Amino acid sequence: MEKIANKVRETARLALANGEVNKILGWKKGDFWYDSYPAFITEEEGTASLIWDSFCVANLSKYLIEQLKEDIKVGVFLKGCDARAFNQLLKDNRVDRDKVVIYGLPCPGMIDPEKVKKAGLAKGLLDVQKSEDEVVFITKEGEQKFSAREFAYDKCLTCQYPNPVVYDELLAEEVERNNTTEYFYQDVEEIEKMSPDERFAYWVEQFSKCIRCNACRNVCPACSCEKCIFDNSKANVAGKAKVDSEEQFFHIVRAYHVAGRCVDCGECSRVCPVGIPLAKLNRKIIKDITEFYGEHNAGVNPSLDAPLETFKLEDIDPFETRAKGGK
Amino acid sequence: MSCSCHGHVDPLVPKIAVIEHIRKDTPDVTTFRVVNPAGGKSFTSLPGQCAMISVPPIGEAMFSITSSPTEENFLELSIKKCGIVTEYLHGLEVGSEIGIRGPYGNNFPVNDELKGKDLLFIAGGIGLAPLRSVINYIMDKRDDYGKVDIVYGARTPDDLVHKEDIFNNWPNRLATNVFLTVDRECEGWDGHVGFVPQYIKELGLDTNKVVLICGPPIMIKFVLQGLEEIGFKKEQIYTTFELRMKCGVGKCGRCNIGDKYVCKDGPVFRLDEIQRLPDEY
Amino acid sequence: MKVLKKEKFPQIWQAINQAYELYLPIEKDDRVNFAQWTEGETVNLEALKTEISPKDVIFPQSETYLKFESDGKKLQLESVESENREYVLFGVRSCDAVSFNLIDNVFLREPIDRLYEKRRNKGTIVSLACSEPEENCFCSSFQIKPEEASPGVDVAAWDLGDKILWKPVTEKGQVLTQKFAQLMEDASQQDQEELIKLQNAIKEKVKELPLASVDPKVIKGELKEIFESKVWDELSQSCLGCGACTYICPTCHCYDIQDFAGGNCGERFRCWDSCMFSEFTLMAHGNPRTTQKQRFRQRFMHKLVYYPNNHGSYACVGCGRCIEKCPVNMNIVKVIKRLGGEG
Ligand SMILES: Cc1cc2nc3c(=O)[nH]c(=O)nc-3n(C[C@H](O)[C@H](O)[C@H](O)COP(=O)(O)OP(=O)(O)OC[C@H]3O[C@@H](n4cnc5c(N)ncnc54)[C@H](O)[C@@H]3O)c2cc1C
Ligand code: SF4
Ligand code: SF4
Ligand code: SF4
Ligand code: SF4
Ligand code: FES
Repeated sequence: MEKIANKVRETARLALANGEVNKILGWKKGDFWYDSYPAFITEEEGTASLIWDSFCVANLSKYLIEQLKEDIKVGVFLKGCDARAFNQLLKDNRVDRDKVVIYGLPCPGMIDPEKVKKAGLAKGLLDVQKSEDEVVFITKEGEQKFSAREFAYDKCLTCQYPNPVVYDELLAEEVERNNTTEYFYQDVEEIEKMSPDERFAYWVEQFSKCIRCNACRNVCPACSCEKCIFDNSKANVAGKAKVDSEEQFFHIVRAYHVAGRCVDCGECSRVCPVGIPLAKLNRKIIKDITEFYGEHNAGVNPSLDAPLETFKLEDIDPFETRAKGGK
Repeated sequence: MSCSCHGHVDPLVPKIAVIEHIRKDTPDVTTFRVVNPAGGKSFTSLPGQCAMISVPPIGEAMFSITSSPTEENFLELSIKKCGIVTEYLHGLEVGSEIGIRGPYGNNFPVNDELKGKDLLFIAGGIGLAPLRSVINYIMDKRDDYGKVDIVYGARTPDDLVHKEDIFNNWPNRLATNVFLTVDRECEGWDGHVGFVPQYIKELGLDTNKVVLICGPPIMIKFVLQGLEEIGFKKEQIYTTFELRMKCGVGKCGRCNIGDKYVCKDGPVFRLDEIQRLPDEY
Repeated sequence: MKVLKKEKFPQIWQAINQAYELYLPIEKDDRVNFAQWTEGETVNLEALKTEISPKDVIFPQSETYLKFESDGKKLQLESVESENREYVLFGVRSCDAVSFNLIDNVFLREPIDRLYEKRRNKGTIVSLACSEPEENCFCSSFQIKPEEASPGVDVAAWDLGDKILWKPVTEKGQVLTQKFAQLMEDASQQDQEELIKLQNAIKEKVKELPLASVDPKVIKGELKEIFESKVWDELSQSCLGCGACTYICPTCHCYDIQDFAGGNCGERFRCWDSCMFSEFTLMAHGNPRTTQKQRFRQRFMHKLVYYPNNHGSYACVGCGRCIEKCPVNMNIVKVIKRLGGEG
C-alpha cells in the first residue's frame, strides 16, 4: 500500500499546485497504529502528511455536503464503498459532481482494530502492515504474520464493490473480490431462521443497548436530511425516553428511511459504540428489495431508478406476499 | 398529591400555580397573573429574576418575572407566542393550572449599584418584561433613586407591551420620562418613529447614569455601540441574556457563555463582566 | 486490609446481592459494561475499561422524576422518588472513580440535585486498581494514580492473581467489609509486600504509556484567546457531530428534560444530552451555536477551560474512551496537543 500512498500524496500535491482543486480530503496518521483520520488540506506542504493504509476506513464522501457549501473545488479520495456513498449523495442532490474531483482507491479491505484487540495482539503494537492477503503486526519484540481476512472488518468480508464505481482518476489497479451472494446474506438468514418472537426479542435486546448517540445516523451517507426528525423538538418525536417503544421507533425509522438508498457501507455498525448490528437490518431490507423487485445496488449506478422510489403496475404487493408474521 | 406540600424538594420539580388573570398586550404577547392554588405568590423574587413555567405534557420554558417584588399577591409573566410551550400557554384560560419553579438567576442590583442613581432603561419589544419588574420596584421606592428615563421601542404601536404602564402609570410619576418609538410610520401614531439605537443618540442624554437594557440581540448590539459612542462606560451598563435553558439551576450545561451559566450567574450581567467572555450568544 | 480469594467471587456476588443491588462489569456479546448483576451473568474484571463509563449508575441515561396528569385545566404533579436500594458498584477504575467527583462538583452544589444525591448516598464504591493500563490511558496527565485508591471510593481493591486485596477506606467501606468479612481473610505481610510490588509495577507501566506525556497545561492564555484560536476550524472539520464521545465519556454530564405522555397523563424525565447536537442550544429565535465548529469547541472548552475555571480541575480523567470510540478518531488528546501548539 505504501506505493499507492506515495501516489496519493503526489496526486494531492499536484492537484493543489496546479489549482485543479482548492482542498483535498484524505487521511493522515495520529498517535496510534489504528489512528488514520480524516485530513482536510489546502496547502501543498500539507499533502506530505497524507497516508493510505489499512485503517483509512472513515468514509470521506459525506463531508462534501458541508465542504461544498463554500464555493470551492474539492479533491477527494474514495474507496469502493465510499464511491457508492458518493453516488447516493449525488442522486439525493446533496453534492455537485462538477465541484468534486474523485481519486479512486481500489480497496484491499480495512482492518478492524477491535478484532486485533480481541485477539490479544494490540498490546505494544507499533505498526500494522498489510500486503496482499497477509497482515504483519510489528511490536518492539518483532513481527507476527496472519491472514488478513482474520482481521478484516465484517463489512469488508462481504463487500461487493471494493473498486470505486465512480472516479476521475484511479490510483491503483483494481482489486479482485469474489464474495458470493450467499455469504453476503448469511447474517440476515440467521435472523430469518428465528421465529417471529425470537426475532422480536433479539432486536429488543439489541436496541436496548442504544445510548441514542446518533453516530449511526451522522456517519450514514443516506442520512443526509437538512433537519432530521429526531432533531426537531417541535415535532415531539425526539423520543429520548429509555423505553422499548422509543428505541424501536428510532431504529425502525432510521432503517426504513434509508431503505433502498443504503449503500451497504456498513458504517453504522462500525461506529456504533455499543455494538448494535444495525447493518443487519439494512441488509434484510436489501434482501427483501432484491426478492421483490430484482437486484438493486444503491449508489452503483445513479442513473437507475430506485425500486422504492418508482411504481410499476406489475410490482408485487409485499403485504400479500409476506403478510403472516414474517417467515 | 400536589407538590406544593413538600415545597422545593427537588429543584426540578415544579409546584402548581393557577392563572388568576389574563391580559392580551399585543397580538402575540399575553400577560399572565399567577398565584398559589390557596392564594398568594408562588415565591418571592428580586427584580430581573426568572421563573420556569411548566405545561406538561408540552414542556417547560423560562420567563422573566415582570411584576415587581413589591407586588405581594401574585407573579406576572409576559409571554410572547413563538413556539410549542408559548403557544399552549396562550390557549389557557383563567383558572387553568400550570407548573412553576424558581426564582432563577441573579437580579439587577437595585439595592446596591442602582441606589441613588439616575437610571436609563432601554427596551425593545418583549424585552420590557424583565425591566418592568425593576421599574415598578423603583416606582414603589421612588425616593431611593434619581431620575428615571425609559426608552422603549417596538415594531408597531400594536406591539408595545404593558400599555397601561408606559402611557399612564410611569409618565405621571415624578422625575420619570417615557420615550416611545416604533420602527415604521403607522396610522394613528404621532410619536417618534425610528429604531431604538438611533433614538437614544437623538435624545442627547447625559452620561451620568446607570443603563439597563433588554431586547432582541440585534438591538442590544447596536444600542451598546451607540452608548459607547456617546461616552457611556461598560461599568455603567447592565443587560440580560437569553439562552436556551432546561434546568435553570446551572447543571444541564445548556445556557453557558464561556464559563458563565446564564441561568445561575446571569441573566443580568454588567457589560465589563462579559468582556472576557466569548461572543457566543 | 483483607484478602478475598477469587474462587469466592460467586459467593460474594450472591451475598452482596442479597443485601444490596450489585453492579459489576458484565460481559455480553463480547462487550463489557457495568450492569446489575444477576445469577448467571459473566463477570469480567479483567477487561480494563468498560465500553461506556459507569456514570450510568449514578446518572442514568434517562430517569423519570415527575408524574403528571392534566385535563387542560387542572394539573396534578407528583415527584417520583427513586426506588433504588443501597447498591455496591464493584470494579471501578481510578479514572472513572475520579469522574464521579467531577460530576459531584456540579450536581451536588447548591441547589443540590436530589435524585443524584440520593443515588450517590446509596452507593458503596469498590475501586479496582489497573494492573494493566492500556495504550490509550492517560489518567496520569490529570494526576490520577491508577495504582492507588482514588479519592471518594469506599473500598480500594488490587488484583493479586488468584485473590484481590481489599482495603476499606471510608465508613461505608467498613460496613460493607464487616458484612462480608466471613468470606475474606486478613491480609498477610506477604500480601502487603505483593501490593507494593504491584503498585510499583503499575507506576512503571503508566510512565511508559504512549500518551504519558500529554499535558493539558500546555493550553495557556486567556479564555477568549483560546476560544478564538484558529485550530478549532481545523480540528472540528472531521467531527460528525454525533454524541458518541459525550455519551461514553465518564465526565460529560449535560442533560435534557423531556415529557413522555400518552393521553393526559405522563412522565417527565431527564436524559443524557450532548453539546455536539445541533439543537442543543436552539431557541425559538435563533441559535448561538449554528456550526459544528462552535459545538465541537464548546465540548473541549468546557472540559479544558470553563470547568477548570469554575471547579479548579479539568473535566477529563484521561480514560481514553473517546480515543477508542470516535468514529473518525478525533479526540481530546488531539485537541490538547494542537491547542498546545503541536502538529
Ligand atoms: C432568562 C430568560 C428569560 C426569558 N424571558 C421571557 C419573557 O419574559 N417573555 C417571553 O415571552 N419570553 C422569554 N424568554 C424566552 C422564552 O423562554 C422562549 O420564548 C420560550 O422558551 C419559547 O418556548 P416555546 O416552547 O414556545 O418555543 P419552541 O421553539 O417551540 O421551543 C422548543 C423548545 O426550545 C426551548 N426554547 C426555545 N426558545 C427558548 C429560549 N429563548 N430560551 C429557553 N428555551 C427556549 C423551549 O423550552 C422548548 O422546549 C426568556 C428566555 C430566557 C432564557
Ligand atoms: S450508533 Fe449505536 S448507540 Fe448510537 S444511536 Fe446508533 S445504534 Fe444507538
Ligand atoms: S468528536 Fe467524534 S465522537 Fe465526538 S461528536 Fe465528533 S465525530 Fe462524534
Ligand atoms: S474526554 Fe475522553 S479521555 Fe477524557 S474523560 Fe472523556 S472520554 Fe475519557
Ligand atoms: S486511564 Fe488510568 S485509571 Fe483509567 S483505566 Fe487507564 S490506567 Fe486505569
Ligand atoms: S439552564 Fe441548565 S445550566 Fe443553565
